Amino acid sequence: MKTAPFKTKVLTANRLSDGISVWLGAHGEWVVSIKDAFLARHEDAVTAIETAGKQALADNRVVDVNVIDVEETSAGPRPFRLRERIRAEGPSIDYAPVATARVSQAA
Amino acid sequence: MYRYDEFDHGFVAQRVSQFRDQVARRLTGEISEDAFKPLRLMNGVYLQLHAYMLRVAIPYGTLNSRQMRKLAHIARTYDRGYGHFTTRQNIQYNWPALSDMPAILEELAEVEMHAIQTSGNCIRNVTADHFAGAAADEVADPRPYAEILRQWSSVHPEFSFLPRKFKIAVTASERDRAAIQVHDIGLQLKKDGEGGLGFAVWIAGGQGRTPILAKKIKDFLPEEDLLSYTTAIMRVYNLHGRRDNKYKARIKILVHETGVEQLTSEIDAEWAHLKDGELKLPAADIAAINAYFAPRELDARAEGWKELAAWKKSDPGFATWVGRNVAPHRHPDYGMVTISLKPIGGIPGDASADQMDAVAKLALEFGHDEIRVTHEQNLVLPHVALADLEPLYRALLAEGLATANAGLITDIIACPGLDYCALANARSIPVAQEISNRFGDPARQAEIGDLKIKISGCINACGHHHVGHIGILGVEKKGAELYQISLGGSGDENASIGQITGPGFEPDQVTDAIETIVETYLSQRTDADETFIACYRRIGADPFKAALYGSESQAA
Amino acid sequence: MTVIWTKDGIVESDPWIEGDAEQGPKLLSLADALAHAQDNAPFGVVLQPADDVTALAPILDRVAIVALSFPAFNDGRGFSQAALLRQRLGYTGELRAVGAVLLDQVPLMLRTGFDSFEVSHAPTIARLTENRLPGIDLHYQPSADSTDAGQGYSWRRTARANG
Repeated sequence: MKTAPFKTKVLTANRLSDGISVWLGAHGEWVVSIKDAFLARHEDAVTAIETAGKQALADNRVVDVNVIDVEETSAGPRPFRLRERIRAEGPSIDYAPVATARVSQAA
Repeated sequence: MYRYDEFDHGFVAQRVSQFRDQVARRLTGEISEDAFKPLRLMNGVYLQLHAYMLRVAIPYGTLNSRQMRKLAHIARTYDRGYGHFTTRQNIQYNWPALSDMPAILEELAEVEMHAIQTSGNCIRNVTADHFAGAAADEVADPRPYAEILRQWSSVHPEFSFLPRKFKIAVTASERDRAAIQVHDIGLQLKKDGEGGLGFAVWIAGGQGRTPILAKKIKDFLPEEDLLSYTTAIMRVYNLHGRRDNKYKARIKILVHETGVEQLTSEIDAEWAHLKDGELKLPAADIAAINAYFAPRELDARAEGWKELAAWKKSDPGFATWVGRNVAPHRHPDYGMVTISLKPIGGIPGDASADQMDAVAKLALEFGHDEIRVTHEQNLVLPHVALADLEPLYRALLAEGLATANAGLITDIIACPGLDYCALANARSIPVAQEISNRFGDPARQAEIGDLKIKISGCINACGHHHVGHIGILGVEKKGAELYQISLGGSGDENASIGQITGPGFEPDQVTDAIETIVETYLSQRTDADETFIACYRRIGADPFKAALYGSESQAA
Repeated sequence: MTVIWTKDGIVESDPWIEGDAEQGPKLLSLADALAHAQDNAPFGVVLQPADDVTALAPILDRVAIVALSFPAFNDGRGFSQAALLRQRLGYTGELRAVGAVLLDQVPLMLRTGFDSFEVSHAPTIARLTENRLPGIDLHYQPSADSTDAGQGYSWRRTARANG
């Protein structure tokens, strides 16, 4: 039986306190750029990030936890789904009228 | 407009404390996300793709300058300097932190605002004609009744966990600017033979996955029975609306499956018990609420007529703007001014904090301190003397708010779509921007005339695509965005649901498809007076389908 | 742990609590209640959200307790059932909410006529025990609870301090 080739995965969520999109980093911390996300390249790693996600949800640090498929590119991990690319890159439109973006606090 | 009394202030203050406690319990982990979600939604807090979103209620779309300045302040202080006005006459902030929500609500309470029931399976913000209190064609101002409904529905103990959300709209004109036929309850204020006020009651309209136009179930409901009859409708819906499938839970499905006669008789049977009870509205209370909305004393400003003619002659841009964005007021020396939030190539409905402040200032200077939000995602200054139009125009021009496109092809409704929304399947805003840019030339827009394009990024239809003359629905197909186009929808007194033309279009084909549709209309219309929707209703969908897909597609 | 709470506090050894010993009175379904209404043993009735509460009218004076079931917190039919029992049928006995009851729903349930609650979520029990209800005591509509009118408009009510 032919199995689909394994796709690299990352764990993503939104921070509970401010809702900002975050990804699980290599040392169990939540990072605000997908470039710093831990890349799960085999099943055991996927199981590990899933476990970390469940724990972070239970600890009320993050919400809406999901494992997503990414493509590894020279510019960093790139989600396959448009929805996840927009989460990673921000709105695809020039939205902010002034440069008053708040600096996000750490989780 | 309505002003809070001590009771209202006390209520909102308690609601803020209640939510502060709920947020605190969530942040400390006392309650889980599953338990918190219905609580936050009931106060307008969503979790979207990038952050939380807060939807603030603007009851029946009416604001004063102080409130608008507060909205600007919140955008600057707690968000990224802008907000998004919605098709339900509300405003949404896209980036507020959950931990800041109590502070934001406290700020809103200072100016008699809140976020109560802007989401959740409850009675939502009551909407109304954005020209209420100014339009020449209305029977009476519908907003006092919207205000009574707002109060009565606030934290209603029996109707806070309905099968699904519930939307009420009120109008008072034959020309329906509140889209009452696509609401769960649509009320049209009217007079009976003796001059008494009451309502034609429509129920069970809606868009979403199953678009259905409302049915009129009462020709004339006396005003004193407004709350008892609405309670009867709500109770029958709460007890019998489907709860097994969220896509079949709206009252439109209950009416569709039960039959309108049967359901109307159930509502009437329930109403018989309630009609003469404590919900009957005393005339004094109706009068007291009406007094808040008493027609403004507007001074005669007849000099405006002559000045206006001269200004128009000397500035064609101003003349175009007046022609498109200023509608006749009940007072002949005044106009109702639409401030377009649809700059060419811009984001429909977005306004920066600076723009909000500017509108607040202009409302105070020229507009008797009154601002409206329209379901078409524009703002309105409802009472502007013709004599003040020129300086108002100059000021709006400086703020990028003088786009002369009200009702034209670039006055596009678009939901936030996949750029923000967790429910969306496709983006809406870039589609709107590309169409706007393509048709941005003022001469071309003028030639095309009245044409409403409405875009939704998912089947929930926040962008009202079902009632767009041209509707665009974004879907996800095989991981990519695809856009279905429908034609012939309308949300006014001659409401209709648009029909899908055929296979969908890829993102880079949508604007070309719209152009094909527009060119077909221009070649088929009898003359420039025949609008797009009139032409479509005369010739039907086939010429458009043939132009879009080739003539062979008609055989399919 | 599941407990019964009323405005007087936690009820010790409530006879109606589900899953207790074989002996003791029982909560019957609507159909069973209608069938056994002539028996002498005291009985209560537990209604499901789809049950028509008005069917209880003929036997309501014989019912010791009515429990309304909330299979999920978002199934709000029980709120209308409660209002009908109190306001339409004039039921004055104990009216209990059982099933998925959230702390924040308790104030709304009290308003629609419930007076006892079966709860098992520990933080909820703690809050109720301390009588710290997350409610609002100014209301924009009459309901089945005892409140005071006279706050300007006919539809407004205020909670009674000891209500």
